Amino acid sequence: MKKTNWITNSVSNTNLLIFITVFLLCISGLVALYSASLHMEAPFFKKVIGKQMLWMIIGLLAILAIFFMQRKLLFDGAFILYWIGIALIIAPYFIGNSVAGANRWIVLGLFHFQPSEFMKIIVIIGIARYLSKNDLVISDFKSLIIPLLLALLPLVIVLKQPDLGTSMIYIILVFPMLIWAGARMYHLFIIIAPVISILTAFNFYSFFIWVLCLIVVLYFSKEKIWLAVVLFIFNLSLGFVTPVLWNRLKPYQQNRILTLFNVEADPLGTGYQVIQSQIAVGSGGFFGKGMGNGTQTHLKFLPEQHTDFIFSVVGEEYGFIGVGSVLLLFLILTVILLSVAFRLRDRFSSLVVIGVTSVLFFHAVINVAMTIGLMPVTGLPLPFLSYGGSFIITCFLMIGLVFNLSMDRHR
Amino acid sequence: MFYSQNNVTLERRNLLILIVLTLFVILIARLYQLQIVQYSRFAGIAEANRIRVISREAPRGIIFDRNGNIIADNKSQYNVNLIPFEVGQNENVYGILSEILKIPERDIRQRVRKNWRGQFLPARIAGDIDFETLTELEERRLELPGVLFSLEPIRSFPAGANLSQVLGYLREVGKEELRMIKDYGYRPGDLIGWKGVEHEYESILRGKRGYSFVQVNVFGQEVGEVRNERSVKPKFGNDLYLTIDLGLQQYAEELLGDKKGVIVAMDALNGEILSLVSKPDYSPNLFSGIVRPDIWNSLRNDPDKPLYNRVTQGTYSPGSTFKMVAALASLEENILDPKTRFRCRGSYKLGRRVFKCWKLGGHGRMNLYDAIVNSCNVYFYSLIRKMDIDIWAEYARKFRFGELTNIDMYGESQGLVPDKAFMDEKYGVGGWTEGNKLNLVIGQGDLLVTPIQMVRFAGTLATNGKLSVPHLGLRYFDRDNDRFHYFAQSTGDSIDDISASSWEFIRKTMYDVVNSRTGTGRAAKVRGLDVYGKTGTAQNPHGDPHSWFIGFVQKNEQVIAIAILVEHGGSGGGEAAGIASRLFRYYQKELVPQQFTSRGTNRD
Repeated sequence: MKKTNWITNSVSNTNLLIFITVFLLCISGLVALYSASLHMEAPFFKKVIGKQMLWMIIGLLAILAIFFMQRKLLFDGAFILYWIGIALIIAPYFIGNSVAGANRWIVLGLFHFQPSEFMKIIVIIGIARYLSKNDLVISDFKSLIIPLLLALLPLVIVLKQPDLGTSMIYIILVFPMLIWAGARMYHLFIIIAPVISILTAFNFYSFFIWVLCLIVVLYFSKEKIWLAVVLFIFNLSLGFVTPVLWNRLKPYQQNRILTLFNVEADPLGTGYQVIQSQIAVGSGGFFGKGMGNGTQTHLKFLPEQHTDFIFSVVGEEYGFIGVGSVLLLFLILTVILLSVAFRLRDRFSSLVVIGVTSVLFFHAVINVAMTIGLMPVTGLPLPFLSYGGSFIITCFLMIGLVFNLSMDRHR
Repeated sequence: MFYSQNNVTLERRNLLILIVLTLFVILIARLYQLQIVQYSRFAGIAEANRIRVISREAPRGIIFDRNGNIIADNKSQYNVNLIPFEVGQNENVYGILSEILKIPERDIRQRVRKNWRGQFLPARIAGDIDFETLTELEERRLELPGVLFSLEPIRSFPAGANLSQVLGYLREVGKEELRMIKDYGYRPGDLIGWKGVEHEYESILRGKRGYSFVQVNVFGQEVGEVRNERSVKPKFGNDLYLTIDLGLQQYAEELLGDKKGVIVAMDALNGEILSLVSKPDYSPNLFSGIVRPDIWNSLRNDPDKPLYNRVTQGTYSPGSTFKMVAALASLEENILDPKTRFRCRGSYKLGRRVFKCWKLGGHGRMNLYDAIVNSCNVYFYSLIRKMDIDIWAEYARKFRFGELTNIDMYGESQGLVPDKAFMDEKYGVGGWTEGNKLNLVIGQGDLLVTPIQMVRFAGTLATNGKLSVPHLGLRYFDRDNDRFHYFAQSTGDSIDDISASSWEFIRKTMYDVVNSRTGTGRAAKVRGLDVYGKTGTAQNPHGDPHSWFIGFVQKNEQVIAIAILVEHGGSGGGEAAGIASRLFRYYQKELVPQQFTSRGTNRD
């Protein structure tokens, strides 16, 4: 209890704690990257680890830049920023994968700019801005539509790139924000229900269980009976129609959809990447094989080891202790951020922090779940650990945003 | 300044914290399962991932002659192998390989299928590539993922002698065969001895392949040895020593030259074969690795059958060399007093048919001794008239004609000794006449013998009835126990029911066949060496008669029996006897005294 008070009472101490946590995560990432780039024969700053450190330095500058930015600018410009962001993520469709000339990063010359990463922040700000409107009645279902659309628009654009992981993040971050803003749980349930109906429709038992849940929830919600019946029938028929529609698709059409959901599908056969990743993690055991001794990593059985599967490198070389510590750091970071959001007086700031927390947390959970075979491979990097310029800078920007907003001079 | 109040409730915050904790616990639980519960399983898989077992082929045992001269040695050849999985969709590989190896793409794919052992295991696509090809492949290695070389020991034949049919050859083990012998460690693409001693002593000659463990990366490239895995060194095959005397063999091969025929020389006391020539033969170097299909087909389709071992597989009429059988039968069964004379006028009339003697003018009055020395047919016609065919056949069988000699060679023929039952069967009762008997007694007609039976026949005559089993395997060096093993020989039957005086009589006549002034085998005479022999001229429907000579010599304690056959060589007294004399002269001068014998030592 005393500790909680210390956290809530001392803004700079909280920020210091966030900084330390992020710093430790970055260090574990660099250690893993060091291992993964051991065999590379290149000058330090040409190696993955060297480049990653450069990105982190740039990230620190970004934290500073955003820290001193006026919040009012962010609040007022939220929607303008949103449309700029949309324009940026559409841009690659028209001018190739590089947006040379359209952004300042081109100055650095070697940066592969991914606007979809920065779009995560922009979506958070946009939704937070909408939800903090003074006249918003959050208990009204209609109030949820705009935030959902704000997420769905970039989702559709990015999904077509295709980048399933990133587009999923856009929609996932909406829900904690809606919960935080006070949306009715029943409404959120109505939104999620059809998705679950479609997904469970392919297996009889899963669908059966889902229908039971649906009945229970609809029965105990004190809503109008006709609405409950309509919802029930809608979800039920969705579940029946989905497999039928799916089977009527031509195989190439099915494949097109499957490819969408399996973007990083490995070239060698089903689940090769996940299997190798699990072998790496599992063979690490409790203490790990030690730095530079991971055979899965160094003999390159482990795919994408700098980026999406960096967690497996930690798992192989530092074992349960190593990955447990990394997860613990993420847990600490998440809880601190939640408490920061809880403490903030103004809704906009609080919601932005929740958005940031969601993005960081879900990135971590989905990435880890994917590397240990709990989820299909979707290609989401692990915050602060995975190699990648746009992403690491985005993460740092989000932390900078938290620092900025937590300095709430108006509470 | 702006905005609405943050009115989030404690419940909502706790809800989110609850979700966060739940997901955190799920992840930790899964990590616990992977890293602690299933640790050993995954550790095992990770080890298996990085370690590739490389087999190291073992050379076959070296084949020596009786004196330790190398007959068949080993050399190394480079083979090209392909790992189907690693080539995968990379279709260019086939094109590049086809270009370098000069094999059509289709053939390469076919070979991959033929030698398939699994998609992660190398399948051989080319053997014995030359250095130039190897260099070219090495240069383009980056374009050829999944293509590897293997060093494989193959045969080389440093000796001047061919010994073709004696050695046999190595060929790729067939798929059918493989199913039966898989337990002995054979794999598709392995070489296995076929025919000859390579086949007969396969289990002794064959080495045991070794294994080493190398660390590989995901691309299958070797990145070093694995320290804590023990590699198994390939085990050489055991060295085999043959009874062959390389010098004699080489000389005998030269003697026969381009003629079709046979020379066999055997130690009559123990059955050790000192030389075995079957012509035409072929160079064993054609078979050092896997034989090229065109060579194989030309050998197979050659009308002179070079692959065929005339010594053990060829069946011939023995001609006059077989007269000794009737002579012994007559002596033992008292059919005719050996002093009884018949007049030979050059032909013998039986009913309306006329049976000729080889000497047109006739030999005049002949007793048994004269008849053998001069090889008079008319005498034997008269003799066989008084003898039952079954008695004659019985004596032929005493010498084990019509049976396998059990020589350690693949595919021996047993020949044929016709008796009454056989003749009745073949021609019907009453369908054959005395005339058939007349043919048989001079070694013609239905009687068939193999040269290896004939050399043993000579040996039996030389040793008063010893029936040794002819053999080529002398001993081998057992690498496991570091000592020699001699091959056990059956202690040797002997013909006990023929009296010493009869043996002596035959020996005397055989001596005079060579050494008397009128003997038909005069051409075989060697100064300073007692040569015994008998000639034969076997009529055959294909052309000139085959020329036979069987005989023996004695030197110190050794008795060497020989059989020589020159197909279509004319009279036995000419071609074959001439070769015999030169062979004996070589023996007289050059043959190293026996160093190793099989007598008294048994293989365990």
